Amino acid sequence: MPAPALRELQGAFWRHLAGAPGDGTGRPIAPALQQVLVGSEALPAAARLAIYERMYFWRLLDVLREDHPRTAAVLGDDAFRTLVQAYLGRHPSEHPSVANVGRALAPFLAANPPADAPPWTADLARLEWARREVFDAADAPALGLDTLRALAPERWPETRFAVVPALTRLVVGWPVQRAWAAAPDDTAIVLPAERTALRIWRSGFAVYHAAMSAREEAALASIIAGAPFAVVCDAFADLPEEQAAAEAAALLVAWVEDGMVCSLDPERRGR
Amino acid sequence: MSASFPYLGHGVGLRTKHYPDVLSGTASPDWFEVVSENFMIRGGRPLAVLERARAVAPVVLHGVSLSLGAVDPPSASYLDALAALAERVEPAWVSDHLCWGSFGGHYAHDLLPLPYTEEALELVVDHVSRVQDRLRRRILVENVSSYVAFRHSTMPEWEFLAGVAERADCGILLDVNNVWVSAHNHGFSPEAYVDALPPARIGQFHLAGHQDHGTHLLDTHDHPVPEAVWRLYRHAVARFGPVSSLVEWDDDVPELDRLLAEAELARTAEAEVLGARARSA
Repeated sequence: MPAPALRELQGAFWRHLAGAPGDGTGRPIAPALQQVLVGSEALPAAARLAIYERMYFWRLLDVLREDHPRTAAVLGDDAFRTLVQAYLGRHPSEHPSVANVGRALAPFLAANPPADAPPWTADLARLEWARREVFDAADAPALGLDTLRALAPERWPETRFAVVPALTRLVVGWPVQRAWAAAPDDTAIVLPAERTALRIWRSGFAVYHAAMSAREEAALASIIAGAPFAVVCDAFADLPEEQAAAEAAALLVAWVEDGMVCSLDPERRGR
Repeated sequence: MSASFPYLGHGVGLRTKHYPDVLSGTASPDWFEVVSENFMIRGGRPLAVLERARAVAPVVLHGVSLSLGAVDPPSASYLDALAALAERVEPAWVSDHLCWGSFGGHYAHDLLPLPYTEEALELVVDHVSRVQDRLRRRILVENVSSYVAFRHSTMPEWEFLAGVAERADCGILLDVNNVWVSAHNHGFSPEAYVDALPPARIGQFHLAGHQDHGTHLLDTHDHPVPEAVWRLYRHAVARFGPVSSLVEWDDDVPELDRLLAEAELARTAEAEVLGARARSA
């Protein structure tokens, strides 16, 4: 049998590593690979190939665990490992940076829930992935409270505020922020099934998340859509007018204090 | 080549554990090596740390996903990202590995071994040339640790590496630990490897620790540089003269002081070898 061309060799090697990721315990070696591997008495060819199998799987298992520490703790070592084996088999890395290998883990977990896993596990993974994405999102200088205070009262209604790029929103089916905050060894977490809207953002180098009320969720959606502050106040339309304006302003101050707002643009008035 | 790959002294890898040292301004190695892919991001702490690092010392970009030996050419989008990062960071040089790590658009995130054949040599030379054309600079190509060899290889690794450097007109990042590990795993002489490389192409040394698994050595970067690797480093310095060196320590990363002390050992060893060489000249 002639030696395989490079494409054939690499294809066989790749499929061996990635086809059924795991510990490298004696899976069959394709003939194209088998015929050209050099072994020794101390270390036969299959054992040499198994070193690569283990390195491939363990490295990616470590990365996925680092990016989803709470999810891994909730599932436990064995179930998380089984999940990762199945995930990598279906979703091998498509990006040069290993940091992106977990991009599809939460949806995969939702579609393939492990037996005995809490029903909110995939939502917890979504929160962890959202935090990871915010971690290295683009920078933008946050607006200071002084700038807000310097804005003349009559200009507030028409002013539009922009949020920092390192902000995302997530709607999940359980209050998974409680599971996220639980001690890693707390395996008895019980969450009620309730729609939960979260904002996840970075201030400085630190990543935060917080649950939002329905009013805050609507107000933040308005801000992100580029609406002027007067429209943002619509989120409080069920309240008396003065109270609505006061609560909307208080919310905006809280967002500014959290470092979520990066600019205001009164000049866009009338556009 | 010296103009392309200046002598920077004895550096350390920039690792997350040492970010606080960099941000506080207490880290001042001769130079930093950073993993390119970790900084192909839009913002946040890593890029801020990188900016602080380059304010105190030269920075070098060391990639792990260029996949120079893959059958498909390096990804255009990856090269764009690398070029943009290089423009931002202004590294002293850019390096990656003599291996493959991707296939069919998927990445192994590992440094996989090549057969040392004329087919593979031509392919790697073509890919290095494409990268250098895109980056408009010569790069350094590093030998990797390996655990398998291929029956149909027609030349030893050192001949392949030298061939890549000569034909593609690139430099060599000689990882002394990888030579030691692969020599042990495949039964060749590490000194013969070093002696076969063209001195004019050597732009950098890597030093690192490994684990002895009995049947093989595993390149783990989680230990101090062992004595055997220091001996081979001395052999390399005697042959190649002063070359920038870097201690890699990626797992169980020690405090920065411990890492810097390891870099100082490289400085001392280099001075001793070069001093002895000067006296005997």
